[in-house]
Amino acid sequence: MKKKIKYIIALSLVLISGVSCKKEYLTPVPQTVVSDATAFDTPERILGNVRSLYFNAKGGSFYAGRYIVYGDIRGEDFINETGNLVTGADVWSLNPTGTSTNSVINLWAQAYFTINLCNVTIEGVAAKGPTVVGATLTNNYLGEARFIRALCYYSLLQYYARPYADGAGSKPGLPLRLTGIKGPGFSDLARSTVAQVYAQIIDDLNFAETNLPLTNASAELNTTRAHRNTAIALKTRVYLSMQNYAAVITEANKIVSASAPFTATNPVTPGPAGVNHALQPVITTIFTTTYNTTESIFSFPMSAASGDNPGTQNQLGFYFLRNGSNPGSAEYSLNPAGIVSDSVFSATSADARKGLVFNNLTNGKRFVNKYQLPSPFLDYAPVIRYSEVLLNLAEALARTNAATADPRGLALLRAVRLRSNPAAATINAATQAQLIAMIMQERRIEFLGEGLRNNDLMRLLQTIPAKGSVPAKAPSDQGYIWPISANEMSLNKLMTDN
Amino acid sequence: MRKLILIVSAVFVFVLNAAAQNRTVTGKVTDEKGAPLEGVSVTSANGKQGTQTDKDGMYSISVPTAVKNLTFSNVNFASQTKSIGNNTVINITLRSVDSKLEEIVVVGYATQKRKEVTGSVASVKGQAVAEKPVQSFEQALAGRAAGVQITIPSGVLNTPPVFRIRGVNSISLSSSPLIIVDGTPVTTGDLAGSNAAGNALASINPADIESMDIAKDAAATAVYGSRAANGVVFITTKRGRAGKTKVNYNASVGFTSVYGVPEVLNAQQYTDYKNYVASTTLGVNTTNPAGAGYVKYNLTAGPDGNPINTNWANVIYRQGFNQDHNLNVSGGSDNTSYYFSAGYTSQEGILKNNDFTRKNILMNVDTRVSKLISLGGKISYSNERNRVASATGSLGDAFATGGFGRLALANSPNISPYNNDGSYNLSTAGNFIGQQGNALSTGQVGFYNPAYLFDKNRSNSETNHIQGNVNIQIKPFNWLTFKSLYGIDYILVDNDIFRDAKHGDGVTNAGDAFATLSKFKRWTWSNTLQIDKTFKDKHSFRILGGLEQDRRTTAGFGLTRRVVTDPVYNVIQGGFTTDVNSGLALGENYLQSSFGTFNYNYNKKYYVSANLRQDQYSALPGQKETFYGFSAAWEVSQEKFWGNAIRKVFSSLKLRGSFGKVGNTAGIGDFATYSTFNSAGVYGGNPILSFNQAGNPNLKWETSKKFDLGANIGFFKDRMNLEITYYKNNISGLILNVPQSPSAGVPNNVPQNVGKMYNKGIELTLSGNIVNTKNFTWTTNFNYTNNQNEVTALAPGLTEILTGTGGLETVNRTAVGYPAGYLWVVRSGGADPATGRRILYNKVGNTILYRFGTLPAGEFNYQNTDGTRYNLASGAATTINAAADAVMYANPTPKASGGFSNTFRYKGFDLDVLFTYQAGFSLYYGTNAGLFDQRFWNNSVRVLEGWRKFGDITDIPKPVYGDNVSNGSGLPISFNVFKGDFIKLKNLTLGYNIPADLLKKVKITNARFYVSGQNLYIFTKYPGPDPEVSSNGNGAATGQGVDRNTLANGRTMTVGLNVGF
Repeated sequence: MKKKIKYIIALSLVLISGVSCKKEYLTPVPQTVVSDATAFDTPERILGNVRSLYFNAKGGSFYAGRYIVYGDIRGEDFINETGNLVTGADVWSLNPTGTSTNSVINLWAQAYFTINLCNVTIEGVAAKGPTVVGATLTNNYLGEARFIRALCYYSLLQYYARPYADGAGSKPGLPLRLTGIKGPGFSDLARSTVAQVYAQIIDDLNFAETNLPLTNASAELNTTRAHRNTAIALKTRVYLSMQNYAAVITEANKIVSASAPFTATNPVTPGPAGVNHALQPVITTIFTTTYNTTESIFSFPMSAASGDNPGTQNQLGFYFLRNGSNPGSAEYSLNPAGIVSDSVFSATSADARKGLVFNNLTNGKRFVNKYQLPSPFLDYAPVIRYSEVLLNLAEALARTNAATADPRGLALLRAVRLRSNPAAATINAATQAQLIAMIMQERRIEFLGEGLRNNDLMRLLQTIPAKGSVPAKAPSDQGYIWPISANEMSLNKLMTDN
Repeated sequence: MRKLILIVSAVFVFVLNAAAQNRTVTGKVTDEKGAPLEGVSVTSANGKQGTQTDKDGMYSISVPTAVKNLTFSNVNFASQTKSIGNNTVINITLRSVDSKLEEIVVVGYATQKRKEVTGSVASVKGQAVAEKPVQSFEQALAGRAAGVQITIPSGVLNTPPVFRIRGVNSISLSSSPLIIVDGTPVTTGDLAGSNAAGNALASINPADIESMDIAKDAAATAVYGSRAANGVVFITTKRGRAGKTKVNYNASVGFTSVYGVPEVLNAQQYTDYKNYVASTTLGVNTTNPAGAGYVKYNLTAGPDGNPINTNWANVIYRQGFNQDHNLNVSGGSDNTSYYFSAGYTSQEGILKNNDFTRKNILMNVDTRVSKLISLGGKISYSNERNRVASATGSLGDAFATGGFGRLALANSPNISPYNNDGSYNLSTAGNFIGQQGNALSTGQVGFYNPAYLFDKNRSNSETNHIQGNVNIQIKPFNWLTFKSLYGIDYILVDNDIFRDAKHGDGVTNAGDAFATLSKFKRWTWSNTLQIDKTFKDKHSFRILGGLEQDRRTTAGFGLTRRVVTDPVYNVIQGGFTTDVNSGLALGENYLQSSFGTFNYNYNKKYYVSANLRQDQYSALPGQKETFYGFSAAWEVSQEKFWGNAIRKVFSSLKLRGSFGKVGNTAGIGDFATYSTFNSAGVYGGNPILSFNQAGNPNLKWETSKKFDLGANIGFFKDRMNLEITYYKNNISGLILNVPQSPSAGVPNNVPQNVGKMYNKGIELTLSGNIVNTKNFTWTTNFNYTNNQNEVTALAPGLTEILTGTGGLETVNRTAVGYPAGYLWVVRSGGADPATGRRILYNKVGNTILYRFGTLPAGEFNYQNTDGTRYNLASGAATTINAAADAVMYANPTPKASGGFSNTFRYKGFDLDVLFTYQAGFSLYYGTNAGLFDQRFWNNSVRVLEGWRKFGDITDIPKPVYGDNVSNGSGLPISFNVFKGDFIKLKNLTLGYNIPADLLKKVKITNARFYVSGQNLYIFTKYPGPDPEVSSNGNGAATGQGVDRNTLANGRTMTVGLNVGF
């Protein structure tokens, strides 16, 4: 009997310890993140995903700063002051390598990271959007995702692929990633041609134009989130890069009126009313006080919140701004032989844009003064302004009218210049070539420090002019475009280098 | 679960009983010298009856007549079994244990006699780590056991040592062993969130450790399954013994000082040298005061009128004072024993403001409630404070601007920490120490002013650590034991950081303070059922089955406050304008296991064992895996053919072998298998949700297949023992965070089980009593380990893993065919005798001559020996760079390591000498690059031996002002790779025991004085302070062998007193 009790004790002890296991601890639910299974299950989560596309496109190595900086410093208008490879000395001297971490590697990675997020979001929104937010918002969001994807691909093409003009897009373009990747095993993908990538960009932007809202809820959102006109505006830039001037005119006419004052209110091609884009009377406004005017078609906003600003050595003001007690590291001064030698920037000039260049009296150097806020450098990063649409249209008109200096093209050029300089009302051009030259010069003046110079050199397959100690780079020279990221080369077995 | 029920059913098969009629046996137990022995267990052969001898060695036991034998045992003596026969009085003399074979060894969830152990287990007595000027026990383990490699990575107090058992066994996960304290696994690692180090194991007072058993092979570790791949270390803390209450007090005081700081230029040499270099290569006029542009490095008069000549090592290092007090009280009755201890230790490091203090209390109680039930419990509390001013330059801080290790060398000697008016010497132009009279270097002749940092900044961490357990043993039958053990390990870490607004790292945020709290909580509960049974005196079985749960949670939060509003504030509660969060962390994991062990021996001659464990781990949801270890041993000397002639020399011989499979999970993220989206960041002030982690739902354990073959040979009645072991460990399914091509846009490198690696080697331990006379004894232990590590597979498409140091410099490359973390540098020669240029070799071995700076036309930074530009095949200019030209250059893993310890006793004196050694490895001495940096940095005195003129033969190139390439800063070169082989006189202790008869009068049982020295001398050709350092510490198995700006190690002398009552 006693023994039986002992056996019972032994057995029950074992059973007690056996049943105490906590099965639920074996499948813990993370509390600081959202599972991918439910990431698109509420309207807030879907919206959060859409915002994350913008958030990542403005990553420090991409549109918050460095993409724009590289666009400028590859051109002839800047002089490198520090020789620091971390801040683009190799980009400036047109010889970055595939292992240049801060430029070639990081820009590629950030843009593609954003592209994958776009793809993941497109799939998530398409699957769950209709039931969670309804058809209209679903389409709006898909439009935004495809707009950002188009912006990423377009931006990558400008550095990593031969211009469209070189063989009408037949040269190697980019690996075209169009499906969301959420796990390992998708490293290998060959490059599509430049033309194929451009075709995808246009397809995305056409979709965006159709599906984006005509206007967003506030002026701020009209500048910082895409709407129909944002897609159209970007198309004028894309078609210009493809030298498809007829398409530039078609697109621009959707948001530009036939004659001055040029606005989006009474466009040549009427459609439902979108955001009423127009030039601001004082150009400095859009860089110093109000970042969300109707001229700023699309800009990336900044705030002091953690992660909502460019981060160390990525800020536009850090690169371009001046010495002394003013913010910035003065990484790049303006090349005295570059565009600042234009009379617009001379001491006697009446042009308001002179005020966007700063003369450092201590060292006699001049600097771009468009981004003036101190650390943490919260100036918005401009992507596309209405004045660019006007000049894109002006150039397309000029280039398609061989007979004469296209009158509407000239009027558009005047409008841009007149805004800053009343004396410009009388500028004139006699020939097509003259008008084109004036427009090209005007772009360098108007968009100095906004990252467009590289695009303009590339699309026209022009030699990159010499500057400082850096010799000129012809389209046939090594280094005319960037090499492919060494990381991509080593991990994507189907990738080919430039 | 099902397995356990099976075991229990098996229990029912054994039915035993004995008729009960009793007789009483009495007697006296003495030692070899005839002195009575107290506390000897006297038990009947069936284990049902038992008693202990009293202080006079007397015992009395009542046993049934059916019982034929009595067994006398005590841990310090060889057990004996006597036949009772018709005797009613049995007196017996026990022989003290000469050999290690009688020792009790802790194995998983049980203990075994050493001679019955079939796995590979090394044991180290607690005495080896007590009375040492260390913060945690494992710092003193170096050289004590074969296969155990301990490296002290820096001189910062309480830095966790690099702890490896039989080499590096993982690439991405931890290579540190599992630590089990009194049956409960504990949290390890550096838990401090500040610049101070905070080793979690420092809460165990080394003075409280009874023994350490280090399990190395699969047989010994498999019962810990998925956590066993790096070995298992069992720590047993001291417990009370039956007998009179014993009180022991130990106190020691000592001093620590720095050694081996490289010699740098003094102020005169510095100014002369820098001016010479500037004038010859920068074209600056440093020589003609009347000439144009005259500017130079100047000597400045200090307050005493003499030129300032600062030895920065004296500003940064100090002689640290240590004191240590331990008191313990232990004792017990037949049924209850207790151990209580309290300790206080306060140590000052060689670095100013680097302090460690620990207050700890430990209480153990064991009681036998009845024949059926025993209870035990333990509670320990420890408070540790780790203090330092700011970045030390060690462990992740290698390139910190204010790293003290570097400031001690790089700051210019002709400036002072103070201006002549007594104020701090700070630059007005930038966040640097002021340049005083130096006009040449623009704005900077040093980094931070360490004196200011010591005064204003702090980066402290305080740990409150509670460990406890409670256990119950129920023995329904003498052959069946149920044991339940519940333990907790709670660690609360408070970090307290302040960085001054005016100078140093705090300038970025205009002064900031951090307060973070991290909580690491763990509980474990194990339940085991054990059967011990012997049939016919020959067939001995031990079967153990059990279940275990191990639950860990981590949580952390904190506050960072920026922009201090008034210099008076230096606490988090003071005035600041900006608050942001800090130190957020949340994690949890859970391990649920069932396990069983089976041991059988036939007549103590043939042994077999099997260990099984099945684990389920929350970080690998849905996975379940069984780990195992099998072993066998043959006590050859028990065979008949082992005649007396052989036995005279070879008193015992045991052959043993084992194989098995164990796993590794340490370091797998709690949620690594999940694909997730997070909300880090805002867009235009609005919340986002972003795909942030691609998980791998198929992730599994890393598995190690271990094979072990060994022999234990006893000589001369086991007075000497030789243990020799061959092992091989094949690791497969190594988890690598496999990079995806950037264009795939996956947010992280996805963990996958793809790598393979092996370690193999030979271990040899020779130990014993060489001399054992009444007045003089000499015991020795020599151990040697040869380990060979090789990576045999990485992920498809992944040819290398580069591991950086301090985020800036990469000299470790892990690739197939080499040991993990092989040193990967560009080969360099000396200076070209003709031009003084640095000789570099490109990938294919061509000699390229390098010179820094802007050169006249026709000369090139990189040129061929014929003076032409170094070009690519395409004709474009190129450079020597790591990506293109670095080669697998040297092995950072010691091929051989071990120790040699000797203890001599002569009458009342004892002398303990420990040497440790490591050989067959190289170090990348990155600090050396800094010592030859030709910017404002101060230099090694060796620059004076550099190239000056045509024909000079030297390894130091022509100095070029501003040059930070030819020295290896810009690209790692073999100039900075040195052999690390060393023999270190690690510890020397001389003690004197005051004779017992003198002490009797003052009622003191024992009293011992001792003096002890730690790190007394290093025999090495390594030019740095100590080859036993590691910039990358314990964390990165693939980042070993780098010494970059690491704080030097300390040399400690202590005197102590140990009194027992």
